[in-house]
Formats: sequence, structure tokens, C-alpha cells
Amino acid sequence: MPGVTISGLTKRYGDVAAVEGLDLAVAPGELVALLGPSGCGKTTTLRLVAGFLAPEAGEIRVGDRCLSSASSVVPPEHRKMAMIFQSYALWPHMTVAQNVAYGLRVGRRVDRPERERRVREILRAVQLAGFERRYPGELSGGQQQRVAVARALVVEPEILLLDEPLSNLDANLREEMRFEIRRLHEAFGITTLYVTHDQAEAMVISDRIAVLDRGRVVQVGTAADLFERPRTRFVAQFIGRTNLVEGVMAAPGVVLRGRLSLRVPAGETKPGDQVAVSIRPHTITLLADEPARPAGAEENRMRGTVRRASYLGAGVDYEVDIDDADVTLRVAAPPPSRFAPGARVSLAVSVEACLPLAEA
Amino acid sequence: MKTAHVLIVALMLAVSVVSGAAWAQDPRLEAAKKEGKVVWYTSLVLPSAEKVAKLFEAAYPGIKVEVHRTGSQRILQRVMQELGANIKIVDVIHTSDAGHFVMLKDKKLLIQYAPAGIEKFPAGFKDKDGYYFGLRATVTVIMYNTKSVSASEAPKTWKDLLDPRWKGKEVTAHPGYSGVVATHVLALVHLHGWDYFKQLAQNRVMLTQSANDPPGVVASGERIVAVNGGEYSAYQLKKKGNPIEIVYPKEGVPLVVSPTAIAAFAPHPNAAKLFTDFTFTREVQQVMADSEGLYTGHPEVKYPADKPKLSDLKLLTVDADELEKRNEEIKKRFVEFFGA
Amino acid sequence: MDRSLPVWVLTGLLLALLILLPLGWLVALSLSGDGGAGLASYRAALTDVQLRKALWNTVVMAFWVGLASLAIGAPMAWLTARTDLPGKRTIRALMLASFVTPPFLGAFAWVMLAGPNAGLLNKLYRDLTGAQDPLLNIFSMPGLVFAVTLYTFPYVFIMIANTLELIASDLEEAAAILGARRFTVAVTVTLPMVAPAIASGFILAVLQALALFGSPAILALPAGFHTITTQIWSYFQYPPKIELAAAASMPLLVATALLLFLQRRLLGRRGYASVGGKTGQRRAVSLGAWRWPAFLGCLAVMACSIFLPYGVLARAALSRAWAQPLSWDNLTLGNVWFTFWQYSATRSAIVNTLELGVMTATVGAVMAALLAYTVNRRLVPGSQVLPFLVLAPVVIPGVVLAVGLFIAYTRPPLLLYGTLWILFAAYLTKELPVGYSQSDATFRGVHAELEEAGRILGAGRLRVLGEITAPLARSGIIATWCFIFIGVIRELSASIILFTPDTKVMSVVIFDLKEEGQFGAIAVLGLFMLLMTFATVTLMQTLLGRDVLGVRE
Repeated sequence: MPGVTISGLTKRYGDVAAVEGLDLAVAPGELVALLGPSGCGKTTTLRLVAGFLAPEAGEIRVGDRCLSSASSVVPPEHRKMAMIFQSYALWPHMTVAQNVAYGLRVGRRVDRPERERRVREILRAVQLAGFERRYPGELSGGQQQRVAVARALVVEPEILLLDEPLSNLDANLREEMRFEIRRLHEAFGITTLYVTHDQAEAMVISDRIAVLDRGRVVQVGTAADLFERPRTRFVAQFIGRTNLVEGVMAAPGVVLRGRLSLRVPAGETKPGDQVAVSIRPHTITLLADEPARPAGAEENRMRGTVRRASYLGAGVDYEVDIDDADVTLRVAAPPPSRFAPGARVSLAVSVEACLPLAEA
Repeated sequence: MKTAHVLIVALMLAVSVVSGAAWAQDPRLEAAKKEGKVVWYTSLVLPSAEKVAKLFEAAYPGIKVEVHRTGSQRILQRVMQELGANIKIVDVIHTSDAGHFVMLKDKKLLIQYAPAGIEKFPAGFKDKDGYYFGLRATVTVIMYNTKSVSASEAPKTWKDLLDPRWKGKEVTAHPGYSGVVATHVLALVHLHGWDYFKQLAQNRVMLTQSANDPPGVVASGERIVAVNGGEYSAYQLKKKGNPIEIVYPKEGVPLVVSPTAIAAFAPHPNAAKLFTDFTFTREVQQVMADSEGLYTGHPEVKYPADKPKLSDLKLLTVDADELEKRNEEIKKRFVEFFGA
Repeated sequence: MDRSLPVWVLTGLLLALLILLPLGWLVALSLSGDGGAGLASYRAALTDVQLRKALWNTVVMAFWVGLASLAIGAPMAWLTARTDLPGKRTIRALMLASFVTPPFLGAFAWVMLAGPNAGLLNKLYRDLTGAQDPLLNIFSMPGLVFAVTLYTFPYVFIMIANTLELIASDLEEAAAILGARRFTVAVTVTLPMVAPAIASGFILAVLQALALFGSPAILALPAGFHTITTQIWSYFQYPPKIELAAAASMPLLVATALLLFLQRRLLGRRGYASVGGKTGQRRAVSLGAWRWPAFLGCLAVMACSIFLPYGVLARAALSRAWAQPLSWDNLTLGNVWFTFWQYSATRSAIVNTLELGVMTATVGAVMAALLAYTVNRRLVPGSQVLPFLVLAPVVIPGVVLAVGLFIAYTRPPLLLYGTLWILFAAYLTKELPVGYSQSDATFRGVHAELEEAGRILGAGRLRVLGEITAPLARSGIIATWCFIFIGVIRELSASIILFTPDTKVMSVVIFDLKEEGQFGAIAVLGLFMLLMTFATVTLMQTLLGRDVLGVRE
């Protein structure tokens, strides 16, 4: 099972670069999600990997074979890949069995009895046993999606590509299918690239997530990496919610905003830099206001006034105006709701949870 | 209708027998049969043209006649247009506009060929240089619908047609399509000048194309007086029982002799000569007189008793050269007065 | 890159030849004259009184046809698309029949119905009222406008009905809730939304009217006036004035181009009026007491367009003398006999028409499919220019195209005049736009992802075309074939200039017979032509499984 290496990939449409100098390495058997807002280039990247588009610069290697470069592109039919499309792309004039068997018949040239056996097996694996002779038009959205999955998996591809396969399903089905896809990946272990704009989906399904913005990979890492240690504002805001406190690095490890001083872990930022400190709402603890309680060794202390408290059942969402700083922080606290709007509170957050991020 | 059919069949048999005898003798036959067909551009009215064609085919099995019937002016247009594109299809050209043949002769587009037995025909049916000969003749006349017009009310002279009482009730054919009508117009211009037509146009005359249209229009009652038209088609309609009557104006009736000739570039020259001969035989000329109501130049042809003899009518003749020279003018001024 | 590229490029080049060459010659000849290049022909054309009158007549006729088509087509479209009108299927079927009836056949039938003296309707009127003068005179400008409108208003109907399909009912219901009555809603809410479609329909009707030859030739000439198409045709009479014909063609060409440009602007690039709001549920407006009167009204319109003309054609086909009352001894099969067995031009004309129909439809459908595919999948860089080229012939009226082709192909190196090929070229050029539109719609319906799915699983481009694209596009391509075939059968305005005695087609023969006054034969041949047309339409509907006009249920 080979991996995929993308280096310096560039694709332009006229003056606009959909993908610009993109680098990404997918290990053999790994499932990497390409996550980003619309227009970030994730689908373009996927289609470049599939061979439907030719790059202006850069390379795509599978294992040690170079499949795409600026000078030559191996056509999709010779890439030993499989793809699941957002619209499923099931052929309406063929039965389920014919759809699923297509790759075996055309690409791998497997003979008929063997084909029928493998089709039956894979349909059982996706829980569509007995559907061989139906037509796609007769199936529900969820069933169609499973046929698409079966069609892709039965050919035992080296690389599996998925282009937002769950977007057309309703919310409940989507959740269910997320786990299903993860389960199938663990069962088959195929190197997979998965495009999505839904961060929760990416976090459930993938081994690692590559966040894309404007044609480039901004950060790659596990869900925990991205959530707990975002490297840029963009990533911090895209993955989960966060508070961003703008300020200036006064000294190594200290950020000043107005009269508010925050201690932050040491990093690459230098004194004098403009930084935004990212503080996740659930990392802040709200306490009753006690004057002049000394901060712990690895703690930042602030005081403020509750502006809004929304009871959400599983938690409480507060908005707190901080003294002396012209900053409002969102806090996610466990229930019950202890502070009403107007109450004075004390906020504590560990230094480690206050990440200084450079511009963008 | 039925009697005519029987007559035709009988005639065809007769003709076959007669020509069968001629068959063995004519040396051109072999060549003609090899050619296989003769292409005939004719302005003779369609059923008549088809009839002549079938007669020939019966007499000479193996040689087909391709009939292309349209108005005289259109025939000339076709011939010149095709020649201009170097297309040589037509063998025999037959229209009712003598001026055409003057022009075609001048341009060296015809061959000199005198059909067998043509010496007997009167001078008006022969070109002195031997390039074209009158296949048939007719006169143009006034016609009216007997259901709507009584004999006493009917117009008697060409001048009568100018009467405003006929406003919106008259029909004419067009010299831009028909050679018969072009000849008619020139004859009347000689008689009464262009002013005649200027006045006539004020009667809001309906325009048709072929000289065979006005009889049909009058018979159907769409219009009740025809200011011109081919006498032979009116005669036939009358014989069939249609409510149409013919008036031969005393001022004179224009005589229209319709010439025929063989193209110099004819692709089937032998078949063409054979066909031409055939159409001038007494049998075929008699057929044209009998079933088509035509006049011919053949001295032995007998005409029905209810048709006036040519010698009894005051005939207005028109010189072919003049017809050719003034063709443009005729068409232009007619359009000018009548609108289209 | 792809081995299939040269094929695409070649097709593009062929197009340039079919369209640019005749147009080029047309312009070139219009600028030539006795003294060399110059505007002499234009000057002659502009000072020709006949031509000026013809131009004016054309403008008047086209304008009134546009208005009348709108006046009939728009209300009928609204009734069919938005209300609970009974018998909608019937109306739509009749609309289709009207759409495929050749206008010249309709004009001819109306001569028999409304000729001022012999016309059957006038006779009836005179019998009933004892009046002397006729009720209707078809040989007049109003008569011409009437006869043309009967076969032009379906275009307006289709355009407006299709647009109305796109409008969700809630916009109208919002007005109704606020107290507006049915009629007020129609005028204040629906009307503005369809305004672009209305304007566009008007322009379409005007364009159709401008290009007609047959109807003016049948109705205007006997009344003593020309339209520009008949005038151009008359320039071909001996001695021919081709330069004048070319110069006279230019105003027609320019007018058509301008109108089309205007229409595209109104509709945007998609070619249909886009309306605001989501496409939601459509609920029918209740007509209440007006239901059946409205239906009868629609039926009356279709009677003028279909029942009366077809009826009188059938009558003429079977009568000795069509104007005489229908009686046993007036009945005859003689006309049928004459048309098919005696008139030598008929058989070869039918053969020619069928040959040309099949050839043009097949080549046209294949070309249209190739082009639509190339453009839809963006196979060639700059393929966005191709639709423009393909649709360009819409701008050229049939007569003008014929003049251009005549000039281009009656001289070396390509001497096509006198053969069926020149007619083939004319028909192909004329029908390609319709074919392309249909093919374009077909391939839009076959999503590119369906092909990509095949490719990633191992099928090469050509295999994907054969196993995936072709089966899915098949019925659409066949529909294209049928559209083109029907268009070719009834074509007259180009054929009338390009035919030679050897290469007559059915429409030309019918026109010839008209000049002979052979009503019976015309009716027989006309009905035969209609039979061929309807057989093709039935085939198309069976294949497509839906209303051919594209109006959804």
C-alpha cells in the first residue's frame, strides 16, 4: 500500500491560483482529511491527485511513481485509484451490480464468476446484500451512497479519494455514515484523501487533518494538534471556537493589551510583535469574584463582569467583559448556571492554554 | 373523363402501331435508345405535357421523357442559370415566348433542326434560319363566370375591361412568369398603348402567374372576369362543364405561337430529335388540338366544331425580335402598374 | 494530449466553411458592381422604389405578426401553465401540431377558406347573411398577418409557458392573501416576472415572420405587394440581378442580427428568463366560471390553425373541384392518382426530400453532438467560441443564406449548384442551431462526474463515451435527429432559390403546383408532408417520453 507525496503543487485558472505551492505527505494506509472553507482549493487538489487536472508546477507521487507533473500526467484510468463523488455518480442505466462491477470488468479485467463473487461480498460489507438487480433510481440517498462506496472499494485501489461524500445526506444519516466510513477504513486500510468542509466530520474520520486556505496547506496534524495547538489565527478559528485577544508582545512570554497582561508560553514571537492570543472557551474557569487572590504559578488571572449567560443544557455559555482591557471573552462552563448577567467574576486560565499566534 | 381515357389509350395503341412501323426504319433509334431519355423543359400545361410524354414513351419504349413544367419566363431563367453554372441538362426547350428563341439563337445555344414534315406548316410557325418551330398556338381571350355574369353584361372588347364596374372582380396572369401573357401584353400595348394597363390596374386586378390560372380562378368563382389567359385551358374547362365562357374580342385576339427547339449542348441529341419529330406528327398535333384545345400549325389537324377557326378571328401578331428586345420593359412596367 | 482532439478541431473548421464562406461571398458580391468594388448595388437597391415598398411591407407585417402572436400566445400560455384550464393535454398536442405545420401549407389552405369570392368561409357567410361582400379577404396585408400569426404564435407560447413553469406559486399567493383578485395578481405580479420572456417572444415571432417566403408568395403577390423575401427571389428572374439580391439581403441580415442580439440580452446567456425566488410548488389559479369558456376560446384559436386548414386540405385532396359543394360526384381519388402516378416530379421530389432529410439529420445530429460535447466538457481551449459559431446561422434568413450559397457554390472550386449537395449545405447550416441547442441540453443532463467515475475505475475516454455517455445521451440525440428531419422536410425559402429540375424537393413541388393552380395535387402532397412530419414527431415523443415542446406537466 503506497503513500501519496504532493510537493509544490500549483494549479492556476487564468490569473487566479486555486492551488499554490501545496505540500502534503500521506503515509501508506493513512486517512488524511483536506479541510477548509469553500474556494480553498481542496477539491482542486483532489482532482489533481485523481488526474482530472494537470498542474502548472509541482509533483504528485504515489509510492515512488511520479503520476503528475507539469510536463506529463498519467491519465486517471491508469492510476489505480478509486473515487467517491459528492453526487455519487451512479450510472442510472446500469443496475447496482453492474455499477459495482464496472471497475472489475473494465480496469482489472476480472472474469465473470470472480466478479460476481466479489460484488456480492462487497455489497454484504456495506449492508446492501440482495440489491444487485435494483437500479440507482430506486434507491434512497443513503443506499446510493453505499453503492458508491462499494464500487470504489471492490477494485482494491491503491489510493481512495472522497469528495464530500456525505454532504447530500441529512444530519442524522451523516453522523451515522461518518462512523461507518471510519470503520470501513480501519477494516480495509487503504491510503485515503478525504475532502470536507465540516470540521466535526474531519475530526471523526481522519488520522490527520490538513487545513487548507487559499490554495495552501496551513497546518497538518491530528485533531488534537490542531485544536490544542493551532499555529495561525485561521486554524484557531476554523477548528472549534476560540477567543482571540489582540495585543503586543511586551517581553518574552508576556502579552500586553491595555492594562491587561497575559503570560503566554515562549514561542517564536519576539518582543514588539503584534500577536493574537488564542484562548479556547472551555479552558477558562469562572470563579466568584475574590479580590486579590494571587495567581497560581502557571495561571493567568483576570476580573470581569458577566454580560450574558445562556443555559444550553450540556453546558453554559457566558460572555464576560474583562476589566481594564476592552476585551470580551466567551467562556464554556459546565452546568448549572451560577452567574447572572451583571455579576462580578474572576477568570482563571492556564498559561499553556493562551497561545500567541502571529498575523493570519 | 372516362371517354377521354379510352380515346387516349386507343390513340396510344394507334401511335405505337404507326411508330412501330417507323421503328425498324429510323437509324437514330439505336443511338436514342442508348441515350435512354430526353429532358423536356416545357410551358405546356402540366396534364397535357404529361400526356404527350406518355404517348412518346409508349411509342418508343426504352426512352423516358423527363417533363419539367413551369412558366415560360421561369424556363428561360432555369436554362440561363444552369448554363451559367456550367450545368447541361436540358434537351428540348419549349416556351410560349418567341422572344426567348431569338435570344437563344443569337447566343448560339440552339441547333438547327427541322422536324420531319415541317414544310407544310404556315410561315408564322417557322424560323427562317431553321432553329425553332411553332409546336402549338393559342390565343389570349377574355373569360367570365357564367353563374355571376350574364352574356349581355359580359365585356366584349379589351376596352370594356377598364369599366369600373369590374373593380375587384378581375384576374390577370403575369408576363413575368408566362410567355403567353408577355406576348399578350405587347400586342395590347400596340393596340392601346401602356395607358391601357395603367387604367386596368386601377380595377384592383388579382395577380396570378400562369396563363392557365385565370381560367381556373374564373371557373371557381373567386374572380368573375379574366382580362387575359390561355384560350386553350379555358376551352377545356368549359368542355368539362365548368361555368366559364370565352369572349373573342372584335378588336383582335393576340396570337401566341409557342416555339420549340433543341439545345446546342443537349446531352441526349438523338432522343431529342426523335422527340421533336414525334411532337410534330399529325397524330400528336391532333391530340393537342383534341384534348388540349390548342391550335396548331399542322394543316391536316381537324378542330372541334365549337371552336372558332383561326381564319375567322382577327389575329394580332407580335414580332419575335420585338418581343425579345422589349421583354425587360414589359415585365418592369407591368410590375410598376400592378404592384408585384 | 488526446487523440480525439483533431476530430473536434476539424468540426469547428467545417462550421467556418459552411457559414463564413457563403456570408463572405454575399458581402463581397453586394459590394461589387459593374464598375468594380463599391456601394453601387446598395445605391441601386435603396433607390429602387419596389424594394423600398417591399422593405416597408416587411416591417409592417413582421410588427403586426409579433403583436398578434403575443396577444394570442401569452394568454394561452398563462391559461395552460398557471390555471386549472381543462383539456390542457389536448391544447398542448394541438400546439405541437401547429408548431410543425409548414406556414406555406397553412397559407394555402386559408386561400381556400378565405379567398374573397370562392373561399368556403365567405361562401358560408354570404349564404347565412345574404351579404354581397365577403367577410374576410385573405389576399391582403391583414390576411397575410393572420395566416402567418397562426403558425408563429406557438413560439411565443412555448417561451412564455416555459418561463411560467419556473415561477413558484408563493409569489402570487402572497399577493392573493393581501386581497388582490385573480386578474390583478396576473397583471401586477406574474406579468412583470415574465416581461423578459414576453419581449423575447415578441422578437422571436418577428424574426420568424421576417424570414418567411412561402406565405407572402401565396398571399401577398396576388394582392399586388412584395415582401423583402419575395423581392429577393424575384431578382433571380432572368436576367438575374444577383448583386441587387445580395445588397437587398443585407438589411434583412442586419435587422435579424440586431433583433437576436436584443433577445439574448433580455434573456441572458442561458436563453430562458430566470426569475427570482426559489422554484417551489406551483398551485393552479382557479378560473371558476371561466373554465369552459376559456377552453373553448383556446379551441377556437386552434381551429383556425389546425382544424379548418387541415379539413379544407382533406376536402381539396378528395374533390374534383374544391370550390364546388361536397357531393358524391365531386368526390374522387383522381388527385391522389395524378400526384403520385402521373406527375413525374412527385416521386423524385419525395425521394430527394427523404434523402436530404435523412442525410442532413444524421450528419447534423452527429455534428451537433460532437460540438455540444466538446463545449460542455471543455475539451479544446477556447471552445467557448464554438456555440457562437454554431448558433450564428439563426441570424441568417433562409432566402439570404440561399443567395450566399448560390453565389459561393456556382463558381469553382466548389461547383455544388445543380446537385443535392448545395441543398444539403443550406439545410445543414440552417438546422444546426436547433440541433445544437437540443444536444447542449442533452449533455448538460449527463453530468461530467458520471464520466469521471468511469475513468477513475479504469475506462479510457472513448470507452467511457461508448458505455456511459452514449446510452445516457441516446434519446436526446435521436430527438435532435428528429428536430432536424422535420425542419428539412418543410424548408422552402432556401430551396426555392437553390433547386434545379433534377433536385426538386417536396416543398418546391408544392409551390410549383400552386403556380399551376393545381389545388387537388397541392392538398394531396401537403397532407403527405404532414403525415411524414407527424410520424416523426410521434417517434420523438415515444423516445423522449415527455412533451416534445419541453413544457413540463
